[in-house]
Amino acid sequence: MVHLRDIKTDVKIGSLTLRNPVMPASGTFGYGEEFAEYVDYNLLGAIVVKGLSLEPRAGNPPPRIIETASGMLNAIGMENIGVQAFIKDKLPFLRQFRCAVIANIYGETVEEYCKVAEVLSGAEGVHALEVNISCPNVEKGGVAFGTDPAMVHEVTGKVKSSTNLPVIVKLSPNVTDITGIAVSAQDAGADAISLINTMTGMSVDIISRTSNLANLTGGLSGPAIKPIALRMVWEVYNKVNIPVIGIGGITTPEDAVEFMIAGASAVQIGTANLINPLATMDVLEGILTYLEVQDIADLRDLVGSLKLERPEE
Amino acid sequence: MPLNKRILTGDVISNREVAEGHFLMAVKLPFAFETPLPGQFIMLRIKGKSEPFLGRPLSVYAFQRRREKVICEVLYRVVGKGTQQFSLLKFGSTVEVLGPLGRSFTIFPSEKDVILIAGGMGIAPMTYVAGHYRGSKAGSKMKMICYTGARSMDDLVALERMEVLCKTKVSTDDGSRGYHGMVTDLFKNDFPTLNIKKTVIYACGPRPMLKALAAILEDQPVICEVSLEERMACGVGVCLGCVTAIKDDRGNKQYKRVCKEGPVFNIKDIMWD
Repeated sequence: MVHLRDIKTDVKIGSLTLRNPVMPASGTFGYGEEFAEYVDYNLLGAIVVKGLSLEPRAGNPPPRIIETASGMLNAIGMENIGVQAFIKDKLPFLRQFRCAVIANIYGETVEEYCKVAEVLSGAEGVHALEVNISCPNVEKGGVAFGTDPAMVHEVTGKVKSSTNLPVIVKLSPNVTDITGIAVSAQDAGADAISLINTMTGMSVDIISRTSNLANLTGGLSGPAIKPIALRMVWEVYNKVNIPVIGIGGITTPEDAVEFMIAGASAVQIGTANLINPLATMDVLEGILTYLEVQDIADLRDLVGSLKLERPEE
Repeated sequence: MPLNKRILTGDVISNREVAEGHFLMAVKLPFAFETPLPGQFIMLRIKGKSEPFLGRPLSVYAFQRRREKVICEVLYRVVGKGTQQFSLLKFGSTVEVLGPLGRSFTIFPSEKDVILIAGGMGIAPMTYVAGHYRGSKAGSKMKMICYTGARSMDDLVALERMEVLCKTKVSTDDGSRGYHGMVTDLFKNDFPTLNIKKTVIYACGPRPMLKALAAILEDQPVICEVSLEERMACGVGVCLGCVTAIKDDRGNKQYKRVCKEGPVFNIKDIMWD
């Protein structure tokens, strides 16, 4: 019987080693300071900060969010303080913690992605980049890059040559074949794939007959998208040989374990942080308990362990 | 950084319909729950439910801490799925509470006349402000008036508690009680009689009401703070879902988070259109 303290939970993403597989999803954890009184960041595998662009962005007009069945739609529109302000005002705070810092980056053009990547590569305390080619709520950039395999290849390749940090490419589910996109990212040198970002959706106010979001459409997140995310993680896991980071409605440790069985080497907790700032900690604790109870000494033995044949009744 | 914040579990000790569609809920909380400042809110969620999924922001209406007993009261109107589910909670139901959250009203230590203007459920934080002043040494003697308005008599809630705390003037849109018209018009009639340099105004209500108030107070040298209502997901500043347009120092538009930089803002900083 394996003892809790002997369980191996480290995850390798390119040259980076995470202590454990649990991290928050970009945009649900601010720039890091916001949850510091709730979560001991030293216990997280990594922190993934809000998406950063070269210049500050004001984001979309309100209303920006609306609850839907078992989830929510958001159309924040990449509001962020810009990469320079992040390095100057937010990064010093994050350096005090043991966990890795993953900067999520966004651009309207390939050049902007590369520039943001370059700037962050020179900053002390950033350990990896997550390239957001999947934001559905902006006019330019974002998902426009993430739905075409050739564009994915170009952005990934050029970001890779702009940085020596490990590069994670975050994929959009708003595509017909997620595996083609994932393979393009891998071929262009991605160190890992994270998926899924939100699914485009809509919600209407029947009294005013207007959209519940000023942006008309938004990105659906939360438990509502979990089965879709899980299926896509499984599909991608079977087509690539780089680590897959599972995202999409993970709220409980059981959800996270499902993703790992389907092929996720690590998981990101997103919308669940919004209803419970301690969601990452609860999920981490539960994963460890699961591994102990199931007598699994190394997390890697769980990843992709889905059995295709059902046991005989 | 101290790890001193978490979601607390509370027990509903009463959840009473005080007027049609309006409820007063009292939640018993652990001692660790901090005493809310006037204008602060909590995120309330039904434990273990994925529907409604998100918590709902509710202003603190009343609060008491007696030894180990901590009770937070909130007032709400059933407007959607979330509040509808709240209305079904019974004695002993378990809720999750995050808070107190947000920027509070500025409380002046002495020598102010206090005006409270409430529209609809805006009465909740206004009552907590009034109670806070009345509970302090200086505030117990301050001149305080509350203007409160609702669509009709049936929607005027929590008047009794306010009337105990201060002089209360009432308006209804349909004229079924008090002044027939908007609460801001009722206030406007009295406005010329105020010593505005000595007055502080607090307001909470629907956005059109606050906008009308802003128009009345335009160019007037009076302190006025308002509490805004906005849909929220997290309540703690990470999701950027609840922003409102605010004028920065140079008069440029900037989005500020109602949950973090607010819900209380200086009325002069808010951009209404």
